Amino acid sequence: MSPAAAAATAAHSMTTAAAESHGFLSPTGVEIAFLLVGLVTFGAALVTVTTKQLVHAALWLVVTLGGIAVEYLLLTAEFIAWVQVLIYVGSVVVLLLFGLMLTKAPIGRSPDADSGNRWAALAVAVAAAAALVWVVVDAFRATWIDLGGPAAGSTEATGASLFQNWVLPFEALSVLLLAALVGAIVLSRKAKTEKSSPPVNSRPATGSSPSVPDSRNHPVERNGSVKGTESAEQEGGR
Amino acid sequence: MAPIPGSGLAKGLAVTLRTMTRKSVTEQYPEVQPDLPPRTRGVIGLFEENCTVCMLCARECPDWCIYIDSHKETVPAAVPGGRERSRNVLDRFAIDFSLCMYCGICIEVCPFDALFWSPEFEYAETDIRELTHERDKLREWMWTVPAPPALDPGAEEPKEIAAARKSAEKLAAAQAEPVAEPTPGPAPGPAPKPAVEPGSAQNPNTDPAPGPAPKPPAPGPASEPAAEPGPVQKPSTDPAPKPQEGDS
Amino acid sequence: MNDALDVALRLLIVFVVFLTFPLIVGQTEHKVMAHMQGRLGPMYAGGFHGWAQLVADGVKFAQKEDVVPAGADRRIFQLAPAVALLPYLLVLLAIPIGPGEGAVGEVIDAGVFFVLAVMGVGVLGSLMAGWASANKFSLLGGLRTAAQLLAYELPMLLTAASVAMAAGTVSLPGILDAFEWWWLPWQIVGAIVFFVAGLAELQRPPFDMPVADSEIIFGAYTEYTGLRFALFLLAEYAGIIVLCGLTTVLFLGGWHGPWGADGLGWVWTLLKAAVLAFIVIWLRVTYPRLREDQLQRLSWTLLVPLSLAQIALTGIVKVVIQ
Repeated sequence: MSPAAAAATAAHSMTTAAAESHGFLSPTGVEIAFLLVGLVTFGAALVTVTTKQLVHAALWLVVTLGGIAVEYLLLTAEFIAWVQVLIYVGSVVVLLLFGLMLTKAPIGRSPDADSGNRWAALAVAVAAAAALVWVVVDAFRATWIDLGGPAAGSTEATGASLFQNWVLPFEALSVLLLAALVGAIVLSRKAKTEKSSPPVNSRPATGSSPSVPDSRNHPVERNGSVKGTESAEQEGGR
Repeated sequence: MAPIPGSGLAKGLAVTLRTMTRKSVTEQYPEVQPDLPPRTRGVIGLFEENCTVCMLCARECPDWCIYIDSHKETVPAAVPGGRERSRNVLDRFAIDFSLCMYCGICIEVCPFDALFWSPEFEYAETDIRELTHERDKLREWMWTVPAPPALDPGAEEPKEIAAARKSAEKLAAAQAEPVAEPTPGPAPGPAPKPAVEPGSAQNPNTDPAPGPAPKPPAPGPASEPAAEPGPVQKPSTDPAPKPQEGDS
Repeated sequence: MNDALDVALRLLIVFVVFLTFPLIVGQTEHKVMAHMQGRLGPMYAGGFHGWAQLVADGVKFAQKEDVVPAGADRRIFQLAPAVALLPYLLVLLAIPIGPGEGAVGEVIDAGVFFVLAVMGVGVLGSLMAGWASANKFSLLGGLRTAAQLLAYELPMLLTAASVAMAAGTVSLPGILDAFEWWWLPWQIVGAIVFFVAGLAELQRPPFDMPVADSEIIFGAYTEYTGLRFALFLLAEYAGIIVLCGLTTVLFLGGWHGPWGADGLGWVWTLLKAAVLAFIVIWLRVTYPRLREDQLQRLSWTLLVPLSLAQIALTGIVKVVIQ
């Protein structure tokens, strides 16, 4: 993910720089396309977070991520663009959809898909966006990208810079991901053993709790992911 | 157990590949007529000259799909002063093939060999009523009945032929030493009859005679011993004809 | 003008290939499958050995009513076939069939990533169809599709990465330019893993769990009729073309052959792809469908380790020969 993020920041800065130097009144075709695709992407992103149909949100996310990939392409960052499609559209969204299908997401609007604290969410989003934009603009203020010249974001260039200048962050990220991977495996195994050695002490615990009638509904959430997915799968077949 | 992992997979691939190189078994039916075995149950043909309106077929039919109408006729006495005989005349014989389940019981049960299997099967109709084949249609099917297939090598000899051969041998033996042992029974009488019998059983088309000849056992043990030479020789008791009836 | 004409011509050729090759593969499948089962296959349509069977099928599909179930998510339901089909068209653009600029729809710098990324998008179509149909069988099919994609995308990527390592480039023509004959034994494990994983991603038998017609009717495509259903089928066969073409290009040396590499390179590519397509059909006829757990186990416990081993081997050899 790190190269994608890096390239994204780079891309943003480059456009701003390009726009400044050309002036707003004589934009090139690429710039117009960039702007239009950017608008579409922005719109899709807005719909993603505001739509009340869960699966639609995931599909709008596809449009958003695809739009970003197109933006990368327009900035000659071909490698990043395809990696974006491969990882995000091809895998992350599929995973997301897989998860959604396991839930009881209805066709049509979910009545409870609206979070109560939308203003707080908006504030956080705006703050995050502002911080990102500020960091990017500040970092790449004077960087200039020549769209007509040799591709600055080709596989070769990206690979060279990644493994010459940015090896350490890259490896650090790799280790981080590996740790996450191992952690996920450990967690899932633990949940499994808990489930397989049935509730010697958990049943008295739920029994003594005041919400005894509800305890029937809870094990799905409590007993960890494995059992949860199973029962959700059964319910998911509408 | 396969010694090499994956050898079972390879074997599976080999099977399909080998099958592909072989000739396929598809029968291209409308273009190429199927090569049906001789006892195929396609349709039932009626040889109505053999029919005596005994109604056995109609009664035995599990589907009740055979319709027979008849009336009685009196036949004037053959010799002056003789008694008049009455005889059944077939008016209608129909098989409803929309009901028929092709069990073949009617054919098995017919004592006079009036019903036969034909391998013809292309008689689909657009109207279900057309599937009731009347007498004339059933007779047309009769002409498509193939000759019975040859017996398997080493099979038991057919009853009729066995009887004919036995009597022919006896006749030959009698003629060889007529002086030494003058047997009374096996005179010329029995010899021609067995000769006719197998012929009519195998190819009923050539035998226009109504009824009497084909199957000896049906008329019953009472008349048979009189006709056949063998039992005549023995003391005419009951146990002798009975096994014969059971066999046929 | 000349440039535009050139581009238009290439697009047209790719489009024609996209429309005809799947039909050829489909017809071959009809016939090969039939003969492998001791049958004859279609014999009537078109007169000669049923050559026009798929054309007739297409006409039939076009005549059928386009039904959208009442409970379905209409727009997604209608959009899904296009999402399933279009990526394969895009991938075809990037597959070179001969040496030089003229024999590829569009040279893409990160070709390997491009084809794999876009092929992964195609599966989204199945997911959309499975979810939007409002049918439990479709949903199950969609779930299985997703699970299968997640399992098999990884070995596919890893083996493709192995080839890219060997060639030192991720451009498809670049890989072919660097190809030597001894890559064949060197990358053979990767080739097999790639091909098997690709089959699984296409949901071809024996990996057709998501569309297992004997248990979940037709998976995600259960509710589809007429032309939209035909589009899904076309996507499957276009997928075969793409997979065979990719395996040819990545592992079998594309246009390289024992002789005639100069003028007849495209013949070699087509020949190799055709042999692979035959193998796809052959596998379909021979093997029974894998169960879901077998499917997952095959990927995670066999294909992924194998592809990792292949990468290690590639790395070692690469370091040694440099």
